[in-house]
Amino acid sequence: MSESILETSGLSKAFGGLVALDRVDLAIEAGKIIAIIGPNGAGKTTLFNVITGVYAPTEGEVIFRGRPLSKTMSTSLVRSVPWFGGLSSSLLGTLLFFAQLNTPHHRARLGIARTFQNILLFGNMTVLENVMSGQHPRSHYGFLEAALRLPKAHREEESISLNAMKYLNLVGLGAHAEQNALSLPLGQQKLLAIARALATEPQLLLLDEPGAGLNTLEKQELSDLIRRIREMGITVLLVEHDMPLVMGLAEWVIVLDSGQKIAEGTAAQIQRDQRVISAYLGEEVE
Amino acid sequence: MLAMVRRKWTYLVIGALLAFLILIPFDWSLGQYTVLMIFIGIHTMITVGLCLLLGYTGQVSLGQAAFYGTGAYFSAVLSKTYGVDPWLAMLIAAAATGAFAYVIGYPIFRLRGNYLAMATLGLGMIIYILFNQLAQFTGGPEGMSGIPYLSIGGFVFDNSFKRYFLVWFFCLAVLLISQNIVRSRTGRALRAIHGSEAAAESIGINVTQFKVKIFVLSAVYASLAGSLFVHHLTFISPQPFGFLASLMIVVMAVIGGLASIWGAIFGAATIRILSDELLLTFGEWDVIIYGLMLMLVMIFMPEGLFVRLKEVFERLRLRYQQRGTET
Amino acid sequence: MSADQFLQYLISGLTQGSIYALVGVGFTIIYAVTRIINFAQGEFVMLGGMISFTLASSTGIPVAPAFILSVLIAAAIGAIMYVLAIRTAKRASAVSLIIITIGAAVFIRGIAGQLWGKDYVRPPYFTGDEPISFLGAYIQPQALWIIGTMLVVTVLLHLFLSYTMVGKALKACAINPGAAGLVGINTRTMALIAFLLAASIGAIGGAVMAPLTVTSYGVGIMMGLKGFVAASIGGFRSPIAAVIGGIGLGIIEALAVAINWGPFNSDYKDAIALIVLLLILIFRSGRLAEEERAG
Repeated sequence: MSESILETSGLSKAFGGLVALDRVDLAIEAGKIIAIIGPNGAGKTTLFNVITGVYAPTEGEVIFRGRPLSKTMSTSLVRSVPWFGGLSSSLLGTLLFFAQLNTPHHRARLGIARTFQNILLFGNMTVLENVMSGQHPRSHYGFLEAALRLPKAHREEESISLNAMKYLNLVGLGAHAEQNALSLPLGQQKLLAIARALATEPQLLLLDEPGAGLNTLEKQELSDLIRRIREMGITVLLVEHDMPLVMGLAEWVIVLDSGQKIAEGTAAQIQRDQRVISAYLGEEVE
Repeated sequence: MLAMVRRKWTYLVIGALLAFLILIPFDWSLGQYTVLMIFIGIHTMITVGLCLLLGYTGQVSLGQAAFYGTGAYFSAVLSKTYGVDPWLAMLIAAAATGAFAYVIGYPIFRLRGNYLAMATLGLGMIIYILFNQLAQFTGGPEGMSGIPYLSIGGFVFDNSFKRYFLVWFFCLAVLLISQNIVRSRTGRALRAIHGSEAAAESIGINVTQFKVKIFVLSAVYASLAGSLFVHHLTFISPQPFGFLASLMIVVMAVIGGLASIWGAIFGAATIRILSDELLLTFGEWDVIIYGLMLMLVMIFMPEGLFVRLKEVFERLRLRYQQRGTET
Repeated sequence: MSADQFLQYLISGLTQGSIYALVGVGFTIIYAVTRIINFAQGEFVMLGGMISFTLASSTGIPVAPAFILSVLIAAAIGAIMYVLAIRTAKRASAVSLIIITIGAAVFIRGIAGQLWGKDYVRPPYFTGDEPISFLGAYIQPQALWIIGTMLVVTVLLHLFLSYTMVGKALKACAINPGAAGLVGINTRTMALIAFLLAASIGAIGGAVMAPLTVTSYGVGIMMGLKGFVAASIGGFRSPIAAVIGGIGLGIIEALAVAINWGPFNSDYKDAIALIVLLLILIFRSGRLAEEERAG
């Protein structure tokens, strides 16, 4: 039994009165391809946002490689008192700024990478530059070295370029390196986004609906790519609506509905699960 | 082939401009513009900082003149009243101004809304009030004179000719450093932030920290400009550091182009020359024209006037070249 | 300091604060409906005062119609500003729009400076200037007008937003512009109405304050800054909170002058607003940042 690379315990997220995640417990096995499915509004993207630190959870914890990520103290203790809570959780927040565990960029440094439903490429850069940006957390030279064009800057730029090209070739876009990122067709843009996320050299890769808008051939190439990524030792967590794609790819499936985990198992088990079937059928009101 | 010709052409233009720059302060018809050029150089330094801030963080500062002022006053007071070496004073001024910008910047940049504009407006006003009120240090509204010149060893920068080269040395250094930063990993991070903040965060870029760094950089540039200003004029008063000055910098940045580095020279030069002319012919109408310029440029050419002119120029050049190859 | 003196300062603070409240309401309305921070808001206040001065003093029109006319003219200028400067900018970025409103503010201020010169002017009092005795302190009748106007405007605005179709449509835009568009609300018309409202309310504040505080072409910037602080206390979402914020700011300023110790004196009075703003930004930044990311 492999250990879990990611765990959540009692994870909840509410926006005012709206409960998006309701006490979700997960244990993601390292090195596998795991799918998260569920009807629309089930909370899948919210889950991604909490894992990557875009939102702080209202309750519960996210644990990555054995290390808890959320701010526990200020959340529960201080929020109980309204104005004071706001004041000091902001103060605490400012102090915790230096602990920096809750922000997306820190989680990227820790090894959690993601793609977005709406892709979000850097339209003001070339294809290669987009991937080179992904190397940001793995490179170090800063303002001073850049301003004075020190040798350290040159050397790191060389390795950034080479690594970026490597990832670009991995997704098959090597030939388009110098084109503007937005000049690519949708399917290739999605591959570029994956290459950019890979360039951060993550241990866990979250893909948010990578198959949306792709044709059959592109979906096949996507499956192959995801398997290659798994071979590199990266755990892949994907949110998808395309059932054949999920069933053919995923080694483990987790089903969410209305913010709760209602089932998990192998693809075959999930297909036969009554609760899953009624959750999906229930949403198709004729 | 075309790329090579284009690069040679670029070098030619740069060479010509540099030669022109070097020749100005000498004793000929253009020599009368030496002091004007000194001020253009000083304002370019402030404008570049704002261009970077506007272009990469998408926020506008209405208080750059405040940083210009703190640099000037620190330099003036330290070198005149306390006899500190002017170069050291300049360094202290830049460090203090930068630290100040850092402290103000963090809480503001953590918000996504556009609070920087108002906050810097208010900040500029407080600092202007302080310049006027803390008369025991600053000399109050009447100002303070007798500020020493900068010097290296025995060489004193005691006339406009010498100061011209000093100012433009600093100005070009600031421009080159800015360009180096933009072309580096840091510049890529900045462009990423400009492209999509959410995506930038997801690949490990600390968006807030970068925004604060650019803000601090712009404050330091302004501070250096202020120090140079004060060692040129040898007199200081609060007057050039108020809201109108900050507004002028914004107009310069908008004309020069947001995120454009070399456009800053264009913006600073245009407004400097314009403001002298406008003041002569139109008196108080200069402010009205600034307001109009801001509106018109941002409505029709949001990337900035200089950048738009470059685009138009490029298109014309391409058309001219095509016609050349067709015959 | 005696109780009488304290009360005097309090009244002064409440009076000033009422103006800040009105300016803040204007900021809030425009921001809530259009997500634009309108830098020209303070200039509408200035215009209210200056135009009513010209109408009432120079052309001898009685006070009441002069007041109404000046508010209408300022509102028209606000509408023109929206149509010519904001609407034509189409899909401009947030920073572009801010610079456009800055340009508009400076433009309006500059023209006002040409038309009226730099002198301070005073339109006639609404009901004279005999101070009224009140619990040991004195209150100017114009101050009562100011506070009263603020209360009336606040109540009317609340009724308008909650009970009329247009008002509810404005609120819908504030909550979710996309959804509002989908249910058939014309967001551009709503934006125009927002500008009209904000300009009118600002001008009302300016016209009712000018007889008491005296005004000139340049008061717009300070008024705008303080109204912005008032609005940020309300998070730019609630006009009522902006009113409370404005009054609070006015009272804090008055108390600072009253204390007259160290930096808390009349010279630095204006700086207090900025310090309050910075404190708000520092302490709200934690929660505000997450709200911004989510919404």
